[in-house]
Amino acid sequence: MCAMRLTGYADKFGVHPGDKIKFYVNCDGPAEYAAEVVQMINGDTNPRGPGFIERPIAADVNKTYAGRKQIIHGGSYGFVPDAKVFQVESFTLQCWIWPTTPKTHPRYWKHGAQGLVTKWSKDKGYGLFINEDGFVELRINEHKITTGAPIRDHAWHFVAATFDAANGDVTLYHEPQVVYALDPVIEPVKATVAAKIEHSPIPVAIAAYVDTLSDDPLAQSSLPAGVVFAGKYNGKIDSPRICKKALSRFEIEQMKGGAQPGLTERRNSGPTGALSEVIVAAWDFWDGINTIVAKDNGPYRFDARLVNCPTRALTGYNWAGQNFDWKHAPKEYGAIHFHDDDVDDARWSADIEWTVPTEIKSRFYALKLTTTEGDEDYIPFWIVPKIGEEQSKIAVMVPTISYMAYANEHVACNAGGAELFIYRVPIMQHQNMFLAEHREYGGSIYDTHTDGSGICLSSRLRPILSIRPKYDHFLAQAPWQYPADLHLIYWLETMGYEYDVITDEDVTYDGISRLENYNVIITGSHPEHNSGTQLDALHNYTQRGGRLMYMGADAWYWVHSFHPAYDGLGRGVVTEMRRCESGIRTWRADPGEYYHQGTGELGGMWRYRGRYLHSVAGVGMSSEGFDISSYFSRTSESLDARVSWAFEGIDYDEKLGNFGLVGGGAAGLELDIVDTMLGSPPHTLAVATSAGRHTEAYLLVMEDFGFNQQGLDGTTHPRVRGDIAYHETPNGGAAFSFSSIAFCGSLPWNECKNNISTLVGNVLNRFMADGPLPPPPADAIKHRGRADYESPALASRA
Amino acid sequence: MIPIPKKGTPEREALIKEHKECVDSMKGVAGFSVLKCETPGDTTVVTGGVHEDPVLKRVLLRMRGESTKGKLIVICTKVDAEWRIGRLSGIRGVPPEFVNDKVYTDEQEIQHDIFLMRLDELPETAGMPEHFNEGWKRRDDNWPVT
Repeated sequence: MCAMRLTGYADKFGVHPGDKIKFYVNCDGPAEYAAEVVQMINGDTNPRGPGFIERPIAADVNKTYAGRKQIIHGGSYGFVPDAKVFQVESFTLQCWIWPTTPKTHPRYWKHGAQGLVTKWSKDKGYGLFINEDGFVELRINEHKITTGAPIRDHAWHFVAATFDAANGDVTLYHEPQVVYALDPVIEPVKATVAAKIEHSPIPVAIAAYVDTLSDDPLAQSSLPAGVVFAGKYNGKIDSPRICKKALSRFEIEQMKGGAQPGLTERRNSGPTGALSEVIVAAWDFWDGINTIVAKDNGPYRFDARLVNCPTRALTGYNWAGQNFDWKHAPKEYGAIHFHDDDVDDARWSADIEWTVPTEIKSRFYALKLTTTEGDEDYIPFWIVPKIGEEQSKIAVMVPTISYMAYANEHVACNAGGAELFIYRVPIMQHQNMFLAEHREYGGSIYDTHTDGSGICLSSRLRPILSIRPKYDHFLAQAPWQYPADLHLIYWLETMGYEYDVITDEDVTYDGISRLENYNVIITGSHPEHNSGTQLDALHNYTQRGGRLMYMGADAWYWVHSFHPAYDGLGRGVVTEMRRCESGIRTWRADPGEYYHQGTGELGGMWRYRGRYLHSVAGVGMSSEGFDISSYFSRTSESLDARVSWAFEGIDYDEKLGNFGLVGGGAAGLELDIVDTMLGSPPHTLAVATSAGRHTEAYLLVMEDFGFNQQGLDGTTHPRVRGDIAYHETPNGGAAFSFSSIAFCGSLPWNECKNNISTLVGNVLNRFMADGPLPPPPADAIKHRGRADYESPALASRA
Repeated sequence: MIPIPKKGTPEREALIKEHKECVDSMKGVAGFSVLKCETPGDTTVVTGGVHEDPVLKRVLLRMRGESTKGKLIVICTKVDAEWRIGRLSGIRGVPPEFVNDKVYTDEQEIQHDIFLMRLDELPETAGMPEHFNEGWKRRDDNWPVT
């Protein structure tokens, strides 16, 4: 197998000249490795293109370093540091659970018992578990009491356990919320355990248990450092409580509501005076959903720190289907879904810190890591100028949110059905092979977790092996995202343009101030995932006369937000996205789970927030297919004086881009079209189209039809096409959209001597010029409808 | 649902021939489809294959929709140089394993060998009532699942 022994990440995507950037490296085996800063020019190894190109950069960090292994302690859990109050003699543990993998395959990567609420390690302490057989299990020291009843997956169950130290009486309850006709009754299990609980100085854990306390360097990337957790649970937990007394079943019922402080006439934390005296902790997961703290509303306020960002804002055991936004009914959203492959931060120790020179070009860079034994990895980053210190008239907006959405994507390996949309057998690269084994590196927002539930959060503080040069993606059998965007970079370098680079984070946080000092903004090939403030900035920019070159397709599609709990670690550390009512969804959010946990905003497609994708650059996604690409033909609208300048040097009948390094043509993978009914400005010109040329692998997007029917593919459907489009914006601005993800793959062809290169060059040369664009002919100023260009009402006013 | 053509039948041999011709014509394309490039390695004009052979199209769809457990996959062992056939485990965290020692130096050719292996592995009646199992009741067909 081709495991990767070198992996790494940086603390930043974008770094300013003069600022510091840290690199975290895992070197698993080799005694040392070499690091070297390089500028990235081309990442595509395809022999029909220019080949891989990097440029060495002199840097004081370019040297050899001692290698050390660093690991990710994946899987989410909550913990509270040890306290005397937790060192109980008798107890009651209780919670609701909705387990997703109560029983796992013996070869499953984390096969074994799963912790629910535990203060147990190495046969000492107490805790509630799901055991290896999928039964509820109580552990007191080395004693294990189980129900012997398998827990149904994907269903709510109430579970509780009591232990009375005075007489050793144990009762274990497992009460399914849903009971089907042929389900056996699960009686409470009674037992006697003649034991005194042995306490060790370990944290209380929710959704895990403490495996070991360790000084081992590898244990330092756990949180808390040196405390290694095991038994990471898959599924939801709601309303966990610990009391220091063996409660009656009635008292347990009273405790379901938890402590209820704040009632005017009462003088205790509730729910009754007597119970208030025995509560150790009563966590209310509905409280503080937009945080990474699980609130304890009991008298001791033992708030739990949530590690690795489990999913919140999910329906609880008591969700009634009346409210769909957690902000309006938080107490019905008291569930946290923990996953054994969640990761919010690898928490590695930094190996290299580079102070970026103040005089350096804003470009794509990477820290190249190599060993003498042939190991290699690249940690990409971008040098972004400070606002007001722009170096060029052109800025490339690097779609880093989209890179995060695709980070460490596993679809070829997880989903057999992936072949149905790529129309061939997928190819896994060595990065995919490594990730297939190392699930602790986390998945992408395209994947499902190891328990099958959708991934809606992605962190950049982990090695992201999909943002790498020399990486062909299974979707394209060619570069995709980062290495595909390097096709554009190679073209800019070859053609001799000066350009800056900025990231999605910069635009999200800084708004138009990030854009307004440039004459033209160039996008990446697939800026699909966007924050609202980023879209605001782009609109404001083009409104004020800015020029936008949209170099790809399927952009401005999904709602993203950065989780505010991670703001202290930098910009855009964890991004969130929910796959809601429509759109291309590799998983689908459950009812009531459409609102982001971080910002509380409605997730899903911007289209269903009333923000049509076509409004940003004049085109919007209409189809996708992943087998092979085709080419564009000019339309009669390309002859319009408003836009004919773009085709200087290109004959009307030329095949535009019937060549390329992505699918073999400029029109492919995902395609955008003009649609004035979905937000394309009515004066948009569709200057070239690939209509009628796509294979049956290309299918109409599902948000464009409401009824399953034949004829949705590229051999028959009129909307399966890409439209290259142009429209003017106020104050001498404009947007030119190339409407195909494969498009940039044609730029490098034949050393950039081709008609796609000519077209893009004509557009860029005009767009980068200072001042407003030349005005359109006077007769272009006229009234236009959206659906009906011939509306008599409008014609009479023309 | 169409039956998978039986070994030794002219229908099966015709599928294999058509598939091979498509694969050969796609060499050099940065992508792949079971279609025939009029000019090898150039997707300007593509014909044949799944667009013109309804049996080939449906057999391939059936193969592609199979579940991950034991499913054949391509593993790139040297970037842009070498590829091998592997089999997915269907278990999260258990990586694919190579099925044999054969090393391919063309990324398209391997598609044809996998097609042949799958023809041998899929029973004629795949997907029909005689293959009913409980998995049918819990979406284990894998078509929509990621």
